[in-house]
Amino acid sequence: MCNDLENSKFRSNNRDLQQIEKQIDRRHFLKKTSLGLGALALGNLLGAEKMWAAGNQEKMTEKILETYNKNRLGLPHHLPKAKRVIYLFQSGGPSQMDMFDYKPKLSDMFGKELPDSVIGGTRLTGMSGSQSTLPIAPSTFKFKQYGESRAWVSEVMPYTAEIVDDLCFIKGMQTDQINHTPAITFMQTGHQLPGRPSIGSWLSYGLGSDNQNLPTFITLVSKNGKGQPLNANLWGNGFLPTEHQGVQFRSGKDPVLYLTDPENYDGKDRRKMLDYLSHLNDLQTDSYGDPEIQARMAQYEMAFKMQTSVPEVTDISDEPEHIFEMYGKDSRNAGTYAANCLMARKLLEKGVKFVQLYHQGWDQHNYCPGGVKNNCRKTDQPTAALIKDLKQRGMLEDTLVVWGGEFGRTVYSQGQLTKTNYGRDHHPAAFTMWMAGAGVKPGFSFGETDDFSYNVVKDPVHVHDFHATLLHLFGVDHERLTFKHQGRRYRLTDVHGHVVKDLLT
Amino acid sequence: MNEVADIFIFLGRFHPLIVHLPIGFIMFAFLLELLSKWKNLKELRAAIPFALIFSFLSAVVACTLGYMLSMTGEYDGPMLDGHFWFGIATTIITLVAWLISIEKIKINALQGFKANISTLTLLVVLISITGHYGGNLTHGSEYLTEYAPFGEKPKEKVKPKSIEEVAMFEHIVLPILEEKCTSCHNPSKKKGGLALHDMESILKGGKEGLAVAPGDVENSELIHRVTMNPHDKGFMPPEGKTPLTEEEIKLISFWIASNKTDFNFKLAESPNKDEVLKIALAYLHLEGGAADKMPTVQPVDSLYIGELIGKGFTIRELVYNANLFDVVLPENTAKTSEEAQKLLEDLSKIKNNILWLSLEKNNLTDQHLTTLASFNNLRQLKLNKNNISNNGVKSLQSLPNLKALGLYGTAVDDECLTTLSAFKKLEKVYLWQTKVSPEKIKTFRSKNPKPALVAGINN
Repeated sequence: MCNDLENSKFRSNNRDLQQIEKQIDRRHFLKKTSLGLGALALGNLLGAEKMWAAGNQEKMTEKILETYNKNRLGLPHHLPKAKRVIYLFQSGGPSQMDMFDYKPKLSDMFGKELPDSVIGGTRLTGMSGSQSTLPIAPSTFKFKQYGESRAWVSEVMPYTAEIVDDLCFIKGMQTDQINHTPAITFMQTGHQLPGRPSIGSWLSYGLGSDNQNLPTFITLVSKNGKGQPLNANLWGNGFLPTEHQGVQFRSGKDPVLYLTDPENYDGKDRRKMLDYLSHLNDLQTDSYGDPEIQARMAQYEMAFKMQTSVPEVTDISDEPEHIFEMYGKDSRNAGTYAANCLMARKLLEKGVKFVQLYHQGWDQHNYCPGGVKNNCRKTDQPTAALIKDLKQRGMLEDTLVVWGGEFGRTVYSQGQLTKTNYGRDHHPAAFTMWMAGAGVKPGFSFGETDDFSYNVVKDPVHVHDFHATLLHLFGVDHERLTFKHQGRRYRLTDVHGHVVKDLLT
Repeated sequence: MNEVADIFIFLGRFHPLIVHLPIGFIMFAFLLELLSKWKNLKELRAAIPFALIFSFLSAVVACTLGYMLSMTGEYDGPMLDGHFWFGIATTIITLVAWLISIEKIKINALQGFKANISTLTLLVVLISITGHYGGNLTHGSEYLTEYAPFGEKPKEKVKPKSIEEVAMFEHIVLPILEEKCTSCHNPSKKKGGLALHDMESILKGGKEGLAVAPGDVENSELIHRVTMNPHDKGFMPPEGKTPLTEEEIKLISFWIASNKTDFNFKLAESPNKDEVLKIALAYLHLEGGAADKMPTVQPVDSLYIGELIGKGFTIRELVYNANLFDVVLPENTAKTSEEAQKLLEDLSKIKNNILWLSLEKNNLTDQHLTTLASFNNLRQLKLNKNNISNNGVKSLQSLPNLKALGLYGTAVDDECLTTLSAFKKLEKVYLWQTKVSPEKIKTFRSKNPKPALVAGINN
């Protein structure tokens, strides 16, 4: 049967299907006739080439192969440093001055009004903008310097403090957006409105896959996350072909939904079914020429492979005890941030190019000290463990790790300020992120904020610059990775962005 | 020098535009005269006086504007004088030519000479000379002949061959200025009163003050101008010209900051040289620069790559069309030592094309590593989780470009450390889960700055 399929020209022998194939609406008629004429001419040209090569079958095969192992977009543009990336997204906006951006002078200014000269006319959110007073709230946490790099880290991150010599801090991050959804969307796609491809999709589109059995771009979200919601468009492909979207792995029995065979079906003839389906879809591609059909076919094939590869990779039973210990006890509890960090490492080992973690709950409008402490309790140890684990396996050599949220938080207290409690509002003008691994300077801190962690006074890094730098590490010139959509060529960095060379080794 | 009113400068800058009108009219008159003579088209002659009066009037305007432009002080020297006087002479002769053409004056002495054609020829010669002076003022006197097929080529500057020879000013700063600045800041065309073609003029500065304040980057107008917002009026180089790159600005800033007394210092002798060493090396295309120089290799038959992929390798081109590859043999592809040997032999056909290679957990033994020893361009080699020992690692010493070596989960022990210190460019070695003892690692680290050893979590 299978052989029959391959040998004979396949036609749908179902009358309903044939009926559908015959229906061509106005839009398709126009598309096919206008593009069709051009295609006809092109076909002639290619046909001529084929005739030339007819005597040389080998040459033809070579051509096919060349397209197979040559990147069709002409990438990478330069020698890459990074091969994989894991992005630990801390959703909500971690408070930089309670974690990394130490501001000792604030302790003398407890409760004093934040001077207008510092605010400098920047916009405040509607939540605290109408407050009658903006009292300075120094961090309640103690800071110490760690490592050879003498990096300041607050007491709530004892594990991260151990690995500061591997981290490259960016203290002068800046974004344009002041509210969560636009800011996260901006951070993940380079634009505040949904609809653009995310970073992972761009990399998948540009560089292709390093493995046959798993998606190039995988997303893991910490379970039971509270606070601002996360939408699938954050790891969406936007206008890029659909196979480049991030695939979300969930906790629980089914890491990827609908991957297991339904009840009472043994799955034995799945292969045959897929072959038949792909022939049907080939017919559709021939008559409509819509690339999305091919994307769909690619995804069916991927799903089929994932039926075996996903259970394999999500099985953590062969991890030794000391690894679980390193990631913390949560790491046995599937779906927690710790378990996701461990899973991320396993995925990277299998050749997944982009793993995107999300951890929600960093939106400390009130009870900031408690909230930050709580989040750190969940994330500090696994984050540090991931770095150590990647390092000891030699993977930090070509893996980039990124840690950060969508914006920072204000130095002034939102709501009532007491000696032990305060809230902090959104602050886009200055926040801290860090990177580690492939191609970035270890034990390095870049950029400075003023005494209030309010304005960047030295070496600001804008979100677009961060994107440009990330692509640069993968050997991609951010100005040359484009996709034409609705008459315009789009980039991850739109019309902005500079590679921050100071961060690079 | 007195300040010149903006309106004069504004009008003056129209000089290069207006100046082409008299040139055109004169050439036109000359052509009409020739045609009327040779082809005997007498009726053309009637147009000559018109062409000449227009050229005279526009020449007067051009002279006036030219004078305004010269008041800015951006142009200087004998070149300007020549242009000035020849321009005026041309204008006057144009008037004379017009008067002759309408027969208002008759010069008896010239009766036999055919007054019209001789004055017109004279005019063509005059505008050529004036134009040449003007061109030199605008573009610099070398502009015209720089790429001439004959004559002396400007001497190729001797480029420094090693970092020790690099003189910061001569080899780095001056070439940058020559590439980006001196077309407008040179001895004959001193925009803003500033010339940047040699040390003396640079230190003299321009109208805005010191271009270079020795040792003081903040107060150096040159740096200020190239780093300000590109949309500002004073940004240099002006719109349409290539701005300085970040690296170039850093290099010049470093030169200024290091300048207290000696302006001709050598980079290697500067105490703070590390700040810019990498950029400088990259700028001069010397070894060790920031940009990794890639080896040039023979292209590989893509059919063969396909074959290797068929055998289980993952192969990815590191830079498009550079024929340099990142090769991974997924774990457990080689089930036995024999299989591994066969795969390695297949791979060795493209050995020079491989920069990154990962052979993790593929039943490799020491003897396989002798095959790898000739993979000369390897920079990253991952041999983790294979049963290899010191002897195997020893055979890799000959790899000249190896920077990172993954040995975690192998059978290497303390002895291996001695071997590692003999690698030339090795920067990082991964030794987690080996028999290398933490104490030896400690002593190794205290004695050898490189390679950095990465062991387990607590080491």
